[in-house]
Amino acid sequence: MDQIERKNKGRRKIKMAKMEKESNLLVTFSKRRSGLFKKASELCTLCGVQIAIIVFSPGKKVFSFGHPNVETIVDRYLTSPNFSSPQPNNNSNINMLEAHRSAKIQELNAEVTQVTTQLESEKKRGEALDKMRKMNQNKCWWENNVSELNLAQLQHLLVALEELKIDVAKEAVMGASTSNQIVPYMGTYNDTYPGSNIFNNL
Amino acid sequence: MRRQKFKLAFIANNSARKATYKKRKRGLIKKVNELSTLCGVDACAIIYSPYETHPVVWPPSAIGVQRVLSQFTRMPEMEQSKTKVNQETFLRHRIVKTKEQLKKQVKDNREEEMTEVMFQCLTGKDMMNLNMTDLNDITWLVDHCLREINKKCEKLKNSGRDAGTANVVGADPILEEIKPLILNVNPNFSTGFNPSVAADGMQSSTWLAGGFVNNNGASSSYNSNQLQGRPGIANDIMQGQPQ
Repeated sequence: MDQIERKNKGRRKIKMAKMEKESNLLVTFSKRRSGLFKKASELCTLCGVQIAIIVFSPGKKVFSFGHPNVETIVDRYLTSPNFSSPQPNNNSNINMLEAHRSAKIQELNAEVTQVTTQLESEKKRGEALDKMRKMNQNKCWWENNVSELNLAQLQHLLVALEELKIDVAKEAVMGASTSNQIVPYMGTYNDTYPGSNIFNNL
Repeated sequence: MRRQKFKLAFIANNSARKATYKKRKRGLIKKVNELSTLCGVDACAIIYSPYETHPVVWPPSAIGVQRVLSQFTRMPEMEQSKTKVNQETFLRHRIVKTKEQLKKQVKDNREEEMTEVMFQCLTGKDMMNLNMTDLNDITWLVDHCLREINKKCEKLKNSGRDAGTANVVGADPILEEIKPLILNVNPNFSTGFNPSVAADGMQSSTWLAGGFVNNNGASSSYNSNQLQGRPGIANDIMQGQPQ
């Protein structure tokens, strides 16, 4: 009973102390560090603030995020730790550079948002497909994994699939003769198959 | 509080911006703290904003921050730069990662989808509206299934032999019957599945685009609005009943 309850709990409350299992700790570090930088980046964009974050990994490597960059923030802090002295900003060249930088950031932010939205939409679609698949597996024995089937069913399925293969080939021949597609219809896939390069433009 | 959709751009409204700053600053500091505690690592954060006269820092003491900063500055320049990012580099990296995830998800979805189509065809659905890419993909899936079945048959045969009991009566004769039916399938499917995303609409599956006619003659189509020309058949199959 306990095991079933524990299965898909999703978000759970965790103890606020150093993690015990090292493998979990490393994964957590990686994920949370990435999330932390993401939040910092968002705060910079949304509120126009300047941030530096420095994190040491369990393996003693260092990761840092800084806007506009780590060095200026660190220097600024070290020279006067207690004051948020406004930066001299009357040089028009600096202003132009800042403007250019922030336009670039705007562009990148828009792109991140777009790709993330696409990913979420495809994930949702994947969930719908999975759900449907499970439904169908309940109705049709042949849709289940091969490991679940008995010998008689496997034999039956084997014959049916062989027939289907022949039918598909016939269909392809008919299609090829009536269209001007030059795509080969049978055989192995390899990296030079036209469809495989489509994602290079994403 | 419910997850809110927000626009990733500078907040023009002054009071909204200040309110957001307060909330997110608090959240950010909390996250740094958690990361440091959970993973037992050193960390520090410095925030300069027009809303406060001094920088907001974590750890909350000047000494704490200085300690981490000196650790940082002591490191060789090379080590620091390897993983140093600013907004621009960070965002570029994020975009690359997300695109990779997207590519994989689309590929997986396509495989799920075409597997369903394959099973529909297996039970007699019309194949007229499938294009070459679909047919290719289905062929690959059929071969994949055949390989899986062969493997399972081998296993059953072996376990039957090992067990040597009468429980697997008829196993061997049936397998001998099946063997001649097993065509010589090429196991060299190096890249496996290839999605046929319609980049310019030319290769999109017309069968999928047209939806498919279920037993009642009604047809429907489902549109994934994000990727152009990529209707899916999820809804269609949910309404259709395989025989």
